[in-house]
Formats: sequence, structure tokens, C-alpha cells
Amino acid sequence: MDQEKLYALLAREMAGQLSEKEASDLQQLLQRYPDAGYIREVFSQNWSPVSNQYTSTQVQQLLEKHQSRLQEAMAETIITPEEEVPRKVWKLYLGIAASLLMLISVGFYFFQPKRIKATAALAQLVTSKRTRSQILLPDGSRVWLNAGSKLDYPEQFEPHKPREVNLEGEAFFVVASDAERPFRVHTKTFHVRVLGTSFNVRAYPMEDSAVTTLVQGAVEVVLDNNTKQVVALRPNEKLTIPIHTTPAEIHNTPVPLPQKAKLVLVQDSIITETAWVQNKLAFKHLQLEKVTAMLEQWYGVEIDFRNNSKRNLFFTGVFEAENLEQVLNALEYTQSFSWEKDSTGKIWIK
Amino acid sequence: MVNDKQIQSLFHRVCYNNDMQAYNELYIALCTRLIHFSASIVSSFHLAEEIVSDVFITLWQKRNNLSHVENPLVYLYVSAKNLSLNTLQQQKKHQHRSIEHINLDILSIAPDAENGMVSAEVSQKIEGAIRSLPARCQLIFRLIKHDGLSYREVATLLGISPKTVDAQLTIAVKKISQAIRFDLSDEIVQTFLRIDS
Repeated sequence: MDQEKLYALLAREMAGQLSEKEASDLQQLLQRYPDAGYIREVFSQNWSPVSNQYTSTQVQQLLEKHQSRLQEAMAETIITPEEEVPRKVWKLYLGIAASLLMLISVGFYFFQPKRIKATAALAQLVTSKRTRSQILLPDGSRVWLNAGSKLDYPEQFEPHKPREVNLEGEAFFVVASDAERPFRVHTKTFHVRVLGTSFNVRAYPMEDSAVTTLVQGAVEVVLDNNTKQVVALRPNEKLTIPIHTTPAEIHNTPVPLPQKAKLVLVQDSIITETAWVQNKLAFKHLQLEKVTAMLEQWYGVEIDFRNNSKRNLFFTGVFEAENLEQVLNALEYTQSFSWEKDSTGKIWIK
Repeated sequence: MVNDKQIQSLFHRVCYNNDMQAYNELYIALCTRLIHFSASIVSSFHLAEEIVSDVFITLWQKRNNLSHVENPLVYLYVSAKNLSLNTLQQQKKHQHRSIEHINLDILSIAPDAENGMVSAEVSQKIEGAIRSLPARCQLIFRLIKHDGLSYREVATLLGISPKTVDAQLTIAVKKISQAIRFDLSDEIVQTFLRIDS
């Protein structure tokens, strides 16, 4: 039945599902029934909805409305991680809060001769030794916080202003890009300026250097010394910044310079600097005393050396689900050292 | 219209790079199609706008767990469908509604008048022909002709086989073709009359 086939082929052509064979069949049929060319033409036109077409201005308004609903929803998930409260109630509270804020700012506007800069409420995430945590910031950026760290962030980032957080310890950031509001991480020794990217910042107060590691995107590190030196990092580079304990030191001893280096791959794609984000403990050609420092932090234990010469042994390894004993036994298996636990639970390397 | 590849790449940028700009582009590219689709189920554009916004909010919240999604377009349509049906159920006004009970006025499409290919009269005939089709057939025609979905995508969305999609679309094309009475050779016109009677 030629005409049935013609309909089927016209349908498939319209749907972009025509095979080569079918295309030549269609050509033949169109030659036999040239008037069917008109109907083919009609189907190849652009068709639009008969009711309620949106103009591009309306679409833009839809997007703006959607963005404010998104911000609202993200704020909810941050405030109530377990979200037991029914959503409607939250909406009500948010509504009240929003109108209060409006009132307050209107009040400020009318009664203050000078405009006071409203500071957003601060929130803080703290991890103890042994615990690592993950958080979604109100702008959609995700932060993994390593053990013994502290992150200060506003409950709501202000529009058209940089998004700023303060970090003590170590965190891995996957920043949601927003060209209008650059993301900044402040530590005691340096500041990191970013657009959208993923990077790791390690700035533990007790360590003698701080490290910024870039995985993806681009960041700038601003050193908080007198020079305000800026160092740009490319993907898979890290910057190690020595920390000067007292200002006097700077004058008397040569200042160690910040050092840029390539990231270290232990195996396949495991980067030692960021392995902790995936709950992996990874190190490559690292001195045992640094490995034990990692273990102390990872497992929340105390480790010391009976034999100081063992401090400078070098190890490479990736551990995932192992407990402390398993890790120590695996390292001990190299027969270069042995370990024991004393009555207080402290680990001794000998 | 934004093609599948571009949608795939925008979606990828959202899931892997947390790219808010790509996310906004994705919203702009798809929101009106999804709103019309959702509105045909819930019979309200206002409600549909919220539903589609919720679909995109969920997309942003879950983006890091969505890298396994093979077809982002189908994922978004299926999310919009499920959320629309849920919304209906919550309203309790229409219990046991399914995608078969769609608001056909919302789904109507016709060739653009501007390009002069089709007169107002023919356009009306086309609309009439589409309205005479069964609801599911109209929906399939709309999803393919206007929303640019493939057979496979429509099949996944509606839980039917690609063969059925093909057959339904052929029925729609036939009905519309007959409505505008293009003058095929007399022989074929005669055959049409035989089939119709």
C-alpha cells in the first residue's frame, strides 16, 4: 500500500528517524505523487504552540523566578540537613523572615543617615579529630572538611558580592561557578580567589607550611605578607607556602619562598593531596614521620618513635577501608620497622 | 532549537563542573517545552511553572549523583511527568489520573503563520485534525514535532515501544494530510475514500 508507506515515511522523516534506504524510497514515492511534496513541506516547517507561547523576555523572567526559588531551597537544605520539618512550614518561616528582613532594611533605609552594611549571619562547621564532613553551601558549592578543621561561612551569600569563607585546617572545594560573585577562601597565611573550580586548601595551624592544590579550573593565591604577592595556579599544580612563626625571623633568616609543584599521582588517578575526599589515605615517597602524622590525624591516635633513624624511611601507599592496625601491619611488612602499642594506647615505632 | 548533543554537554557541565551558567542555559533551552508538557497534565500553567522549577531544583541538588544519567532530556521529561502526576494526586481533586488524561488545548500546535507556507484556513484544518486524534496520539505528535524528542525518547517517557510511537505518529501524519486534502492523483484520492468509509 503505497500511500500508507508514504505517511509512514513522512512521519519518520519529520521525526528524523529515516534510514538511507527509506530516504530513497521516499524520493521515489514523491516522484510518483509530486503533489505530496506540499504536505512534506508543511511538516518541515516550524510548528508552534497554539496557546500560551512564551516570549524570550518571559523566559528570562521565568529563569529569575526559578533562581530565587533555587536559592530558597538551598537555604532550606543547609538549615535542616535532616529535613524533618514539612516544607510548607519552612516556606512560611522563610516568608516571615524575609518580610522581617525587608522591614528591618526599610527601617535602616529611612532612619539611618549613613547606610550600615548588613552582615549576613555566620555559620560554622567544625570537625574533630577522626571525623570528616561534607557540606553544601547556599550557593551550591560543595565543601569536604577534613579532620580537625573549621570552616566559617555566611548562611546566605550576598548578591553581586564575592562569596567569602574562612578556613582553618583542610578542605576540598568544588565551587559553583558564578561570574558575578567570585569565591574567596581566607586562611591565616593566604587567600585563594576563584571562579568555578575544584581545589584543596591545607592550612592547619600547627603545620610549618600551607598548601593549595588545584585539580580543575583556575585559582589565584594571594599571599598575606607585605608584598601581597599573587601566584596563579594551573590544573594539577600545588603551591606550598612556608609559614613564618615570628616576624623577627623574617629579618634574620632567609625567607623560604613559596614553591609551586606538580601534583603527585600514587596510582591511576589517585592524587595524594585530595585522596582524603574519597575517604582514601594516600601518600607517595613520603617520610615515615610524615606518614605517622597523617595516621595520627586520620585515626585520632598518638604515634611516636623509639628509634629516631626510622623517621626518614620512605613509604608509598593507598588505604581505603583499613583500620589503623591493618595499615601499620602493611607498612611493617616491609620489615624496615616494627610497632607496638603501650598501655595508654600510644603507638611506638621502633 | 538546542539539539541533544548540546543538552548532553550542558548537563555534563552541570554534573561534573557545578557550572551554574550551563545550568541556566539548560533551563532556558528546555523550560517552555517542559512547562507545556507539565501543564497538559496539571491543566495549569502557573502550577506547571512551579513544577518545572522544582524539577530543576532537584537537578541542582542531586547533580553530583546524576553522572550516570544517559539521556538528560528523557530524565528531565520523566521528572516533570512524575512530579506533575504527584501534584495532581496531592490535590486529590483528580484521583487516579494518568498521562492519558491530558489537557489537549494546551498541547495544540500549528505551523507558524509567518512564513506564508500555510494559510489561516489550512492552519485551522490542521488544528481540527490534530484535535480529532486520540489524546496519546496528540501527545506523541507534539513531543516529536515540537519538542524534538526521538522515537526512543518518547517510548521511554510514555512506557511504550518505539514501534508504537512510529505507528501513532503515522496515524497523526495521515489524519493531518487528509485534512488539508492535498491533491494526490485521483487514484489515491479514491483509495483514501475507500479507507475512510
